[in-house]
Amino acid sequence: MTVLIEIKVPDVGNVPEIDVVEVLIQAGDIIALEQTVATLETDKASMDLPSSVAGTVQQVYIKPGDKVSEGTLIATVLAGAEQGGVATEEAVPSVAAPVQSSAKAPAVEQAAPPPAIAAPEPVTASGAAGTAHASPSVRLFARELGVDISKVKSGSGRKGRILKEDVKNFVKKAMTEGVSSSGAGIPSIPVVDFSVFGDTETQKLSKIKRLTGQNLSRVWLNLPMVTYHDEADITDMEAFRNALNAEKSKDDIKITGLMFIIKALVAGMQQFPSFNSSLSGDGESLILKKYFNIGIAVDTPNGLVVPVLRDVNTKSINQLAAELAGKSEKARQGKLMPDDMQGGCITLSSLGGIGGTAFTPIVNAPEVAILGVTRAKMQPVWNGKDFVPRLMLPLDLTYDHRVIDGAEGARFMAVIKQQLSDIRRLLL
Amino acid sequence: MSETVLNAEVVVLGGGPGGYSAAFRAADLGKQVVLVEREPVLGGVCLNVGCIPSKALLHTAHIIHEAEELAQHGVSFAKPDLDVDKIRAWKQSVTKTLNDGLAGLAKQRKVTVVQGTGQFISANAVAVQTEAGTIQVNFEQAVIAAGSQPTKIPVFPNDDPRLWDSTDALALKEIPQKLLIVGGGIIGLEMATVYHAFGSEISVVELMEQIIPGCDKDLITPLFRRIKKQYKNIWLETRVTAIEAQSEGLKVSFDGKGAPESELFDAVLVAVGRRPNGKLVGAELAGVNVNEQGFIPVDKQQRTNVPHIFAIGDIVGNPMLAHKAVHEGKVAAEVAAGHKAGFDALTIPSVAYTDPEIAWMGLTENQAKQQGAEYDKAVFPWAASGRSLSMGRKEGITKILCDKETGRILGAGMVGPNAGELIAEAVLALEMGADAEDISLTIHPHPTLSETFGFAAEMITGTITDLYIKK
Repeated sequence: MTVLIEIKVPDVGNVPEIDVVEVLIQAGDIIALEQTVATLETDKASMDLPSSVAGTVQQVYIKPGDKVSEGTLIATVLAGAEQGGVATEEAVPSVAAPVQSSAKAPAVEQAAPPPAIAAPEPVTASGAAGTAHASPSVRLFARELGVDISKVKSGSGRKGRILKEDVKNFVKKAMTEGVSSSGAGIPSIPVVDFSVFGDTETQKLSKIKRLTGQNLSRVWLNLPMVTYHDEADITDMEAFRNALNAEKSKDDIKITGLMFIIKALVAGMQQFPSFNSSLSGDGESLILKKYFNIGIAVDTPNGLVVPVLRDVNTKSINQLAAELAGKSEKARQGKLMPDDMQGGCITLSSLGGIGGTAFTPIVNAPEVAILGVTRAKMQPVWNGKDFVPRLMLPLDLTYDHRVIDGAEGARFMAVIKQQLSDIRRLLL
Repeated sequence: MSETVLNAEVVVLGGGPGGYSAAFRAADLGKQVVLVEREPVLGGVCLNVGCIPSKALLHTAHIIHEAEELAQHGVSFAKPDLDVDKIRAWKQSVTKTLNDGLAGLAKQRKVTVVQGTGQFISANAVAVQTEAGTIQVNFEQAVIAAGSQPTKIPVFPNDDPRLWDSTDALALKEIPQKLLIVGGGIIGLEMATVYHAFGSEISVVELMEQIIPGCDKDLITPLFRRIKKQYKNIWLETRVTAIEAQSEGLKVSFDGKGAPESELFDAVLVAVGRRPNGKLVGAELAGVNVNEQGFIPVDKQQRTNVPHIFAIGDIVGNPMLAHKAVHEGKVAAEVAAGHKAGFDALTIPSVAYTDPEIAWMGLTENQAKQQGAEYDKAVFPWAASGRSLSMGRKEGITKILCDKETGRILGAGMVGPNAGELIAEAVLALEMGADAEDISLTIHPHPTLSETFGFAAEMITGTITDLYIKK
């Protein structure tokens, strides 16, 4: 006997809305376990969703452009069935089959997602205290509009009771806020018809690029930023690093300079806690973080993403190297989960592999600082007596001037430099 | 046997209150509906062998009691003469009126009613075994409303006509001299009320430490005190270990404090709960999950794990109450018609139609304590209600629980005549998010029993004048 199994959107971290970019199955398809059924895209990443079951697709419930969330039904699959028929009447025998026969497909049942619905609970005990202050008709109205009534904070009715008007106003507010987020009050760039000057082609920006763009504009408008440039002497660090990598076998993950910079950043943040902070929503206090998570900007074919390495203060350089290699690979394949990109304290952006002498990175708010790195260059350095060849690494520190003042920024940079010039200090 | 095929946009399995509400609502929303019902009449357990016939008999019982009690007020009647056949006929006339009404409502809506036992044969078809043969109903969407049945205890002599379930008791075949009720819940105690009025000597045996387990003890106490005097025995924390069919009666053995080792009864009513019919509808052939106990799990929109098949009423979980099923049935029909409906009632009220009646809704005090809720409580004694006293009754209470911080009503309970009618106001207050002040500022007509709800709220706001509460 066949078993009807549902494929649902899995837990992808704390994301309320996911876009369906592509649907790769249709009713009647025979699919294998782990076969990609759809491509989904969130604010920060796109991912291929593998099937949790093998069998014949009975019905597909999503289409490109749909918004889905955790638990949304994607498709139903007749598990283990070999018939290609779509109609259920054919797929399910019309006489009662002995129940045991469903055990024929144990592997499939194991792979199936856990039951979507919990056992019924008695409703009587719910109590009203925790729910919104709204009558049944208003709750129904909110449900119809897709409004989570608990988010409608204050009602205008007697004693703060939520009225239908309050739900309407909530929707109105949400709509207008959504529209004006592209920069209220700022004159826009005039639209130009470029085709007058020659042939053009319009290419749609990837979602990551569009959202990154919005975020960068927001930061640019909101943060007074200062960028401070300096150079660190990494001659000894590089000698040590090259020696380390020489010891490693071909398959081992090589240590990159970034690992030492991450460790140096931790030292800096420990000494200057304001670098590991965020401004509160009202801008009146500073939220100091007691954990050390560092975001690493990674260039991918779809755009810039920033996977986060967590608790870097507790991890060894080898561990960090392995973790970053894994996350970078995931990033390039578009498989980073939103969870991989949340919770950063400070960001590191390296153009070292490409070149350059300096740049001005933009802070990844609500973080307060970002460190940019370009390619190290052998330079003559005056040691008081002679010019000696030293490998110098250009560093660019951009910070939110509301939180960090110039002198503090310079002192922070001095610590980073000191750590990188003499990596024995990382042990301290 | 002939085979007929019907096509339906929505098929509803079960014609009880939940099922016919779902069918009628779906039809009103433009769906073409087939309603499958096992019995020749609509209305299900509630109308035919539950709520309605029991209330008809309880009303009769109530009048008998009142007439008797009027002697204390100076009006004495002769001992009533009971014509059981006529009582039964009257009860049946009540259900028949409602049956006919439902048949008419179905007809007006062009809902096709198929009489027979329906079972899924796939995720899109139901086979109905009718007297005329099998009818296959192909459907786009289905609502399972197949209800529940009285729990039978396998070791009891279930084939003996003197061993009753609630259906047998309501059939009113005879008035036994000695009647034992196994299970001191709502159904058992309602039937105890009826048969006591009709002259049976009643004994009740209950496994738990109180009758109507789950209800707050202070609400139970007035009923318990009254029936303790009326009934021969009420054995709590007592188990029935065996029932043996003997020619002169059913010999019942007990294990519990105060209970005899065994006693002989003319009839025994087993009212120990109901179990869902989830395993009887062929759900597995439709791919619908049924749990161990026979319940079909559903989400807030009454959908089963198969998105186009809904389930409602007793079969989806406790409490097994008609008014819950009706609301769920409407939600299922509306969702099936593409509306964004959902079951989000804050409470499902409970009523025991005993004498005195007991009714409660929202949080019980037991639950409030368990959850550690911060609440204010007021209990208004009906002994201070002019209306209650003028009815010759003073044992009732009205209790209200409010959130300590916001004053909003969390729960309420009442015991006394007509408590079942009075609870509706509390349910409305809860759904509207009313607080104690809202209730106490609402003018309740005087002199009524409904005033006691307003008085209880005034006790919380500290504005009561009908009692003196020392600060």
